[in-house]
Order: sequence, then C-alpha cells, then structure tokens
Amino acid sequence: MSAEPRHFTTQLAVIGSGIAGFAATIFAINRKIVTAQVGNTGAVAYTTGYLDLIGRCGGAAVTDPWQALASLRETEPTHPLCRIPADDIQRAFTEFTDFLGACGLAYSAPGRSNITALTPVGTLKQTLCVPATMVAGPSALAANALCVIVDFKGLKGFSGAEVVANLRDRWPRLSTQRIVFPGMERGELYPEVMARALEVPATREKLAVALNAVVGSARVIGLPAILGMHRPDHVLAELERLTGREIFEIPTMPPSVPGIRLRELFQQALPQRGVTLIPQQRVTSLSFDGDGATLALSDSYGPIRVHAQAVILATGRFLSGGLEAHPAGIREHLLDLPVTQPAGRVDWYRERYTDPRGHAIHRAGIEVDDSFRPLTREGRRYDERLFAAGVILAHQDWIRSRSGAGIAIATAFKAVVEAERFLAGR
Amino acid sequence: MSSDATTLETEVLIIGGGVTGTGIMRDLALRGIHSLLIDKRDLCAGASGGNHGLLHSGGRYVSTDPAAAMECRQENALLKRLAPQCIETAGGLFVAVEGDDPAFAEQFPALCRNAGIDCEELSPAEARRLEPVLSDKLFKACRVPDATIDPFHLALLNVDHARLINGSVYRPHTEVLRFEMADGEIRAAICHDHLHKRQITIRARQFVNAGGAWAMNIARLADCADVRLLYAKGTILVSNDRLAHHVINRLRPPGDGDILVPGGTVSLLGTTSTRVDDLENVGPTAEEVDRNIREGAAMIPALAEARYIRAFSRVRPLLQAAGNSSDRTASRGFALLDHASQGLGNFCTITGGKLTTFRLMAEKASDLVAGRLGNRQACLTASEPLPDDEACSWTEPATALKHWHRDRDADDMILCECEMLPQSAIEQIFAGSPGSEQERTIEAVALRSRAGKGPCQGSFCGIRIGSWLYDQGHYRDATGLAHMRDFFDERFKGQRCVIWGQQAAQMELAEALHCGLLGLDTLKEDG
Amino acid sequence: MPEIRTGNELMTESAVASINFREAALKLLPEGANFEACLTCGLCSSGCPASGIENMDPRKFIRMALLGMDEELSTTPWIWCCTLCKRCQYVCPMSIDVSQLVYLARGNWPEDRKPSGIVRSCQLTRSSDSTSAMGMPPADFVSVVEEVLAEVRATQPGFSQLRAPIDKRGAHFFVNQNSREPMNEPEEMVPLWKIFDVVGADWTYASKGWAAENFCMFSGNEEAWREVIRKRVEAVNELGCEVWLNTECGHSYYSMWQGIERFGLRANFRLESIVTYYAKWIREGKLPIDSRWNTHGIKFTVQDPCMIVRKAYGDAIAEDMRFVVRTLVGEENFVDMQPNRSANYCCGGGGGFLQAGMTDHRRAYGKRKFDQIAATGAAYVLTPCHNCHSQMHDIGHYYGGHYGVVHLWTLICLSLGILGKNERIYLGPDLRG
Repeated sequence: MSAEPRHFTTQLAVIGSGIAGFAATIFAINRKIVTAQVGNTGAVAYTTGYLDLIGRCGGAAVTDPWQALASLRETEPTHPLCRIPADDIQRAFTEFTDFLGACGLAYSAPGRSNITALTPVGTLKQTLCVPATMVAGPSALAANALCVIVDFKGLKGFSGAEVVANLRDRWPRLSTQRIVFPGMERGELYPEVMARALEVPATREKLAVALNAVVGSARVIGLPAILGMHRPDHVLAELERLTGREIFEIPTMPPSVPGIRLRELFQQALPQRGVTLIPQQRVTSLSFDGDGATLALSDSYGPIRVHAQAVILATGRFLSGGLEAHPAGIREHLLDLPVTQPAGRVDWYRERYTDPRGHAIHRAGIEVDDSFRPLTREGRRYDERLFAAGVILAHQDWIRSRSGAGIAIATAFKAVVEAERFLAGR
Repeated sequence: MSSDATTLETEVLIIGGGVTGTGIMRDLALRGIHSLLIDKRDLCAGASGGNHGLLHSGGRYVSTDPAAAMECRQENALLKRLAPQCIETAGGLFVAVEGDDPAFAEQFPALCRNAGIDCEELSPAEARRLEPVLSDKLFKACRVPDATIDPFHLALLNVDHARLINGSVYRPHTEVLRFEMADGEIRAAICHDHLHKRQITIRARQFVNAGGAWAMNIARLADCADVRLLYAKGTILVSNDRLAHHVINRLRPPGDGDILVPGGTVSLLGTTSTRVDDLENVGPTAEEVDRNIREGAAMIPALAEARYIRAFSRVRPLLQAAGNSSDRTASRGFALLDHASQGLGNFCTITGGKLTTFRLMAEKASDLVAGRLGNRQACLTASEPLPDDEACSWTEPATALKHWHRDRDADDMILCECEMLPQSAIEQIFAGSPGSEQERTIEAVALRSRAGKGPCQGSFCGIRIGSWLYDQGHYRDATGLAHMRDFFDERFKGQRCVIWGQQAAQMELAEALHCGLLGLDTLKEDG
Repeated sequence: MPEIRTGNELMTESAVASINFREAALKLLPEGANFEACLTCGLCSSGCPASGIENMDPRKFIRMALLGMDEELSTTPWIWCCTLCKRCQYVCPMSIDVSQLVYLARGNWPEDRKPSGIVRSCQLTRSSDSTSAMGMPPADFVSVVEEVLAEVRATQPGFSQLRAPIDKRGAHFFVNQNSREPMNEPEEMVPLWKIFDVVGADWTYASKGWAAENFCMFSGNEEAWREVIRKRVEAVNELGCEVWLNTECGHSYYSMWQGIERFGLRANFRLESIVTYYAKWIREGKLPIDSRWNTHGIKFTVQDPCMIVRKAYGDAIAEDMRFVVRTLVGEENFVDMQPNRSANYCCGGGGGFLQAGMTDHRRAYGKRKFDQIAATGAAYVLTPCHNCHSQMHDIGHYYGGHYGVVHLWTLICLSLGILGKNERIYLGPDLRG
C-alpha cells in the first residue's frame, strides 16, 4: 500500500522553497545539474515582488547598492554578501531575472542604482529590481506625473487615500479614486482573486471601463498589485491599451500577488525544466551516509525518500521553520547545526520595536565557510555535501537592510557554484 | 492668555481615568453632580488596564488581610448583580500541589467561613474533573465565588452612564501639569492636551486625584506631602488560548505566578511582585516571564508549553505605613485622603485598593466630594445597575464577531481578523464610545475593542485599521503612519519577552511587514 | 420579505449540537499545524474558492474556533460549501488543514438538516450492493452493460469482439464505474472499453461494489462511509484483482484510499488511477495516439482534480496527465490553466456540492474555475473527474462560457479513430466529425 516510500535519486537536493531555494534550483538547472527541490510555502507568498539587494545601510536609505556593499565589506566582513564578489552578485541577479523573464514574468534588470519604489502605504523604499508591471510607478513619481491611485471597495488594507496622504508632499499631482472591481461588488476582496480574474479578457474590459470613468485627465494610473497572476505583463499591456494610460502596480499587504506569482512560476517552470519538485512538504529528517544524503518527507500519498549527492539548505528563519526560537535559545531545525546568537533571550530584542538599528535576533543564524558549507561548533564543515543559502545565514538583518532577495539570490548562486564544483570533483 | 488657550469649567475635576476615577464620575453623576474626567492617556491606561481582571471573592486575602477579604466578598456580590455585562462568573478554585503547606491548605476553608466567603471543598478528582489541566500532584482543592471582570468595559460604561445622566465630560490625553492655588483651595488645574498640543485650564469646585500609582506625583503638584506610596510592579502573561474555565489560584500564601485567570478567549498568568521606583519605565522582563511560567506550571503543567502572545506590567501603589518593609504585608486596602492637613479644602486623593473594590472607593470619595459641595444625595452605585451600551462592549471577546456574524453584511469588512472585529464595530465605537469623538486613531480603536489583542497582536489589523481610517478621512496625512508605528511599538512592549516558538515566526512576519514592507522604521527620514 | 430557505426548513428540525472546534483541532491536526499556529496571514482565505460564501473563509473558520464560536461554526451552512479540497492547507505556511474540521462539522449535523441531495445520494449508495449514488441495482448495471456492449458489437465495425467483463475472477484490473454513465449516458462507457481493448488490458467490472461515488463521506457520515468502502474492498478482494482502477472521479479514489486507512480495512490490492496507465501505455507504445487529428489547432486545457492531484498522488500524476494531453492534442494546442497541478483550484463539483442543492453558492464557488478556463481561451477542458465534468459544464453554461468539457477517453478514441458517433455527446460541432 501507500505505506511504501517512493524513492527519488538526484544530484542536488535543495531544501526550501523560498527565494534562496528557487534561485539555487535555477542556477543549478542552468548548469545542467540534476536537481530535486522540496519546500513548504514559506515567505515567498508574502513578498512584494521587489528584489532587494540592499536598500538601507547604517540607518540611511541606499541609492547605490554597490557602493553600500563596498562599505559593508569594511564594516561587516562576516555579512553573507561580503563573502561574494560584486560581479557574482550582479551575475546572480541577472541570471535570476532573466530566468523569470523567460518564464513570462518580466523584471527590470539590476542596474547601477536602486529604484525608489512605492510601498502600500505611500512610503518609499530602495530596491534593485522591480517587476515590469511596477516600473511605471517610480517613473511617474520621479516625473511628478498627473496620476490617480485607484483602489477598490472591499480590498482591505490598501487605501488609495493612505498612499496619497503619505506621498502628497513629494508627489503633489497624485490623487485617488475608489471603484468596484467587476463582478465583485460586495464583500471582501483578495488581490489573488482579483489577479486571477484579470486573466480573463472580459474582466479586463470591464475594469478598463471603470477606470476610465474615474481617472479624468490623469495619464498614469496606480493600482494595487492585481494585474494577473500568470501573465501580468500581458494583462498590464491590455489594460494600458484599453485605458490609453500608463498603469503600474503597487504592492499590497499579504497575501501578496507578486509573491504568489513567483511561487506559482517556480512551481510550474521548474518541473517543466526537469526538476523534481515536491512542493508544500517539509523534510522531516536529513541524514548523510557514505553514498550521499537522504531526505525523508511525506506527501498526501505517503512517504518519500530523496537521495542526493549534495544538499543545499535554504530553509529560512523562524517564519519558515529553518530556525526555531526556544525560551532557552535558538536552534536550527533539521540538523541542529550550531546557531550564532545573542547570549540570552533578553538580548534578542531592543526596547523599541521600530528602532532603526534593528534587533539582534535577526543576525542569528548558521555559520558557513567561504564555500558556504555550514560549520560545526568547532568551526569545521558539518559535511562536504551540505551547503547553505539564504536568510538562515548569520550576520545579516535582511529586514532592516532591505536585502532579502539579495542575500537569498547571491548566496544561492555561490552555493550552487560551490556545489557544482563539488559534484564535478566527484 | 496664549492664543490657543481654552478654559473649561465643571463642578468636579477627576484626575485619572482608571476604574476608580470613572467610578467616581458615575457616582457623582447619579448624585446630580457634573464632573470632568481627564486622563493623561486614555481610559484604563494605568493598573486598571493591566491586571488579572479577577473579581476577587476575597479568598486570596483571608489569611493576610481579612478586612480586605470581606470588602472583596461584598463588592464581588454587588458587582455581579449590578454590572453583569462586565463580568463572567467563572468561579474560582484554590488548589494545593505537592510542595505547598498542607496546614495552610487545611485551615483555608475555615478562614473563608470567617470572612463570609463561600468555600466548597473538593476532592482532587472532582477538581480535575472540573479542570482536567490541573496537575496530578494536586492534593487539596476548594471552590470559591471568584469571577472575572473586564475593566475596560467597566470604565467605558461608567463614563457613558455619567455622560448620559448629566452630560459629564471625559477628556483623554489631558495631563495635569500643575495647579493654581489660593486661599486654601485649588483654583484651577493647568493641563496639557496631548492630542491638540495645547494648554487647557480647568476650573472646578472640587478636585479628585484618582491617579492610581501616580497619586503621589499628582498630590505633590498641589504641594501635598501626605500621599506616600511605594511601588510594586506586577507582571502578567497572556496565553494564546483559554486554558481553564475557572480562576485557578494556588492554595498557599500569596506569591508569584500563583493565579491563572480566564479572560474571554485567553488566560492570564501572574503575577510577580517587584519593587520599583520609576513609574514610567515599567515593563516585563524575561526573568519575570519565566518565573510566572515556572510557578504556574506547578498547578497546571501545560503552562510550561503554552503559547504566550503577550506580557505586561503595571504598578500597584502601596500605601506606606510605619515599620513595614515587605510590600505584601502592606495594606491591600485603599486610602482616601482629604488633604485638610495640607491646607486644601477642595482636593482629595483616593488610591490603593483593587479593581474589585473600585465601587466602594468611588463611593467613599464621592461622599466626601458631595459633602463638600453641600449635596445630600445618597450614593446610588450600590443599588443602580450599570446600564449597558453596545458602543462600549466591543472590548469583550468575540462581541464584534457575533454582531458581524449575526448581521451578515458582506460589505462589513473584518479589520481585525484575529478577534474578527468588523468595520461596523469601529463605526459604532466612534459613534458612541466615550472619548472617541476627538480621537479616531488606531490606538483609540484598540483601547475600546479587542483589536490587536489576538495572536498577531495587531500586526495585520494595525495595517488594515490604519488603512480604513485613511479611507474614512480620519487620517489625512503622515500622522496615520506615525500612529501605526507607535501602535506597533506599544504592542511590542508586551510581546518582547514572550517571543519564542510560534511568536518568533509571527514577529518575523510582523517585522517584515512593518519595517521591511512598510518602512515604519524610517518614518523620520522619508515620509 | 421571507428569506429564501431550503424547502425543509418549515418542518420541525433537529437542532445542531455544538462541537468544541478548538479542542477538536488540537486532536485532529498535527502539532505545529493546529489552529494555534495560524499567523492570520490570509493566504488560505485568499486561495480558497469558498471564501466569501456565507461570509466565511478558512481564516475566519480558524479564528472563530479559537474565539469559541462553536455554535456558529456548528451551524454555518458554509461547511457544505467547502469542498474539502485542502487548498487552504496547501498554501498555508503552517500547513493548517481546515477541511478536517469542516468534515467533522458535517458529521455533526443531524441527518434531517444536511443537504437532502447529499443524504439521498448516500442512502441510494447504501441501498444495494452496487454502492451506486443513483441507486442502480447490480442487475440493472449488468443489464445496461450487456445491452450497450451488444449494440456496439452489432453496429461498430472492428468491435464485434469487444468485451466488457463483469465479475471476472482474477482479472488484473477491477474497474470502477461512475453511476452516471450506465444510468443516463450508457454510450459514454464505450470509449474506455475500446481503450482497454486496444492495449489488451485484463479488466473486469463487478456486479457488487462497482460504483464509484461516495457521498456518504461528504455527508460526514462515518459509519456509512465505512460500510460503502467495506463493500467495495470486499468486492475487489473477492475477485482477486491486483489493481482497483479508478476511472471516474477524484473522490472515488480519495474516499477509497482514505477509507481503507481510516477504517483499518484489509485491501489485497493497489489503488491506481487510469491516468497513470494512459501515460504508461502511451510511453510503452500500447496506446498509439497522436495529435494529427487536430488539424484546426483546437485548444485544450486540463483540470487537475484536487481529489486526484493535491489530495492524493501529487504533481506526478498531473505530469502524467499533461503528457497524455500534449500527446493527444499537440504541444502547441495545450494551454495550461493557472494555477495548476497541486496548486489548482477545486472547480466546486467536489465535496458533494453538486448534490447539495446550493446552486447559487456552488456557482459562485466555481467562478474562479470559470475564470481559469476563460483565461486559457481553450475550446475544451479535459478532465478525468466526473464531478469536475459536471460542474465545469454547468458553470460554463451559467457564466456564458464558450468551451466544452470532455473526458480523456473521448479524445483518445478520437485520436485512434475509433470513437463512435453516439460517443461524441460532449464534443462540439468542431469535433462531431
């Protein structure tokens, strides 16, 4: 019966389906490495779609991330990004965004400087790459364009009035209008549902009519991020055609469409390119023996065993389950790898939540060597076949430095490069 | 006069919007006396908003303070009858486990009887049948008529009733800075309106200091040296779930972590007691959290593994008495000081006591004030039921949800998903809840409802409510984001020392949202 | 204005008792995935097709449970709108499964308060050894199969020796059959017989336990579910078949598989899907299909039934299905729905919704599926699930869609050139031949 485990054999196993995990898989298949990936939902579905390299440093906004990286190498040499050459980071971002573009989700290329992008409440953030569907927003902001933010009845947590109120000083020609989403006149709306509805031409046409009715003479329209799930660029283009205006998306509060776009893109594109993807399941044990590594997990149907020659651990932090916070200390979930952390719980957080300096807990994580292999307490590699990537790594505070994707993508690149080297050497 | 000065007049100014101050307000109104109540923050900003919510049967004090025990027993019975909408008559269990003094446990029932407190002895099996979470090391159990009370609901209804009776006024965010005095009287209280950033002069015939732990500070503003308080800080943990039906007290002399009080959908575990000197920087520590859990787990082992969403601390004012050094043996009773000895004929201070005895404290204070005003009306708070008002009941767990579920309006959005608080509830709070007229902010909503009190501790609903407030036009500029940030900073104070396990995941998500996504950690610079 | 109510509400009804959902979740769901782990992030509600119906959604369900709203949860009609599709669990970072509590709530309703269509289907399923939701007795099933077989032998060239064995002891495959075909559209059974013939499969129907449906599971009636599964397991065991081959619906597979585990039944066989075998036979060359028939480039999409993919086999079978379909229609004529595979949306035909009488709700639920299909622009949806078939057909009509819904066997036979004239009822004019 289904009590019998199913077995899969692969060269590389990636544990984790966050940005680090997916990036690793992308880099691996680009290098013809036979890859299997396992991962629970994680944080991707919450993300804005912005790919941050480094957006804040030393308490200030960063306009030139490459300059900031240079500074970081001076001030925080153990930061994961400081372990990777700038060229490689650039390369990683380019490879990652190219892959996304090839799969139908276009992104702006990583440039010399950050883009000043909008948040759901009208604050601004510095990010390296933005989805193509959001590009017109920063442009319109820069040009003080006559722009209308259109929000929707029933879409909680996204207020055009809020965006305008908080941007008015910097963008005086910004205004807001509220409309009803076609076919969803009553009740609570979810961006995900709206985005999927906009894949249907008829819905786009009705939305265009509604938009045209309220935007007056504005040439640019800002919308919550709902312009389709699978083909946002197509949806955007169609809506621009139907309205005769430039349109851009603003990220919303989670559940977030841009994050779900990434997740669903990865879930479909990777299997199409030969990856054995086991989504929405957690590895319950990871062991190493002579032949390689064995991952144990289960799905609805029953037990699974994945046998790999190399493993990349990209299991994220507390939210994703890569790290666990216990009253007595922080532990790594799968292998109980040593975790660099503050002395005691009382030191995890500062007094004030939004203190710009951030909290010590976020710098806790696993230690790796220069080839991104996790280390034991004694400073030795845990296992030759084990690599790590993403925000599980110590010595970074991705939240406060706005560097989630940066750390994930760059370290994944590095880990895959190292894993490839290892596999080639076997 | 400065160009934006305003002078208000009333018969009685009450300083401090805790249960005592609001109780006085209502008591006076029922006597036909108009009052103006102020709080430097908002209703129940002090100990009234940070306690167990235990409506003591008196059982806890039978050994150390029989008089207080009787007061509690009497007020407990009165309040159950007169303010049932604020009370859940859960009942209480006193349980002794291995390690507790069997002799103390043995004499407990007799002590209760002496204080007139119903005490029913139960076998350990019976107790565990009532509360399966109890330790199997339980050896003695008694049932007493403990209950739980919602101080926020209570205070809101007190203010609402007083307003209805004779238009008495409540002003939040109004802090007394100094008094103008002459000829043995306070002539005016000079206050700061934190909301509108301006000075207000309040003239009254009588002034009441109901500032709880701050009573000594306030009295000193009137050059009164007769209020001498020590401060005992207590820390309480809030669990994610309601772990028991009854109030569960440790059957031993009062100590740390010896009460688990159910409060709607959660349970409150506490309290510790630590001497402090500073009233303004009071918060829970990890050590206190751990101590509460360690002690509580003796009664209820599951507490060791429970998910805690919050911890808070508040200060009890301990009336200093000669020759006492231990806080615990200081009186739990209250003190009413008429300040005649200080040369003032229209000022009084009421402090100490308990939530349970607020009505009595208010009665005594009101007797004094009314007498000074030549008012012969009798106190009615021992006979008049406290009228209900829907706009004041949103602090009760699931109230919002039941209304929303009942009304089933698809357009009535749930803004706080944890406690399922819909837009209509906030609208009703704004329409009818005292003090919300001038302050349509995230904090005002949170104070008057369950918003922010569920597992996410406001991390999502703070955003949704803020966005809704912008939509409604209550926020029109960056003030809204600053309020949002401040709301989260405030909530964090109670979360900080209970962040482990699931809470760590929740906090990571929250911080990613608030700082990573919304940039609330950068407001000073960019917005 | 009187509220529109179900027809039996004017009768005196049994009251719905309350369950303590919080405690039930603690017992039923694994540690780390019980309701207390909920981050209230909303991914589940955002991703649930039943969100908004009866002003409910999975997140609200969890919060209401934790807020002690047991009475409301015990009485909400939404439990019949949730199709138990488990997409909420799939997208939840904590893997919280609302559907198990929904199932519990269903079982808690008195029979006279449950949607009469579901209860009636369960009663009919239990009414004979057929375990047929339409109450078709064994003899009638046998009779229909024989009649149709005779007709095909008599009228269709090349199939004069076609066989549809019944109660063939020792056959490799025990083939289940959805009741709708023998009851209403007997010709629809034929394409599969032809496919078995082409690949030389050793198969049989059975007079006992032949039917595929299990509305007893959807009614939350544990005892009834168990009884139905026991009959079916016995039937397969009695015939000594190695494989119980599911040809119908996700829920027949899921109810059999979960039922065997849940009730600790001894099944001397494997449970397999016809889709897996289509793919296998194609790869083995036994099923020589291609897309040359599709000269006009007609576009097709596929439905990933939640009972078969997300809740059972996983993405593997979704890949198999796509392999089959791409081979059948041509790579360039296949347009995938979004989202798909394990992330796919339930169409709303599951969980007994088709029998629940809540037509408006079911159609509202199905709007997401309709939009998914509409977004593909496909002329046809291929589905291996009868419930999906009915629901997608209905919502297509209701929302003014322009697509047909067909079974895989239809297209396979079309490709092989062996589809009979009266086996084309779900094909449009473009494919009538």
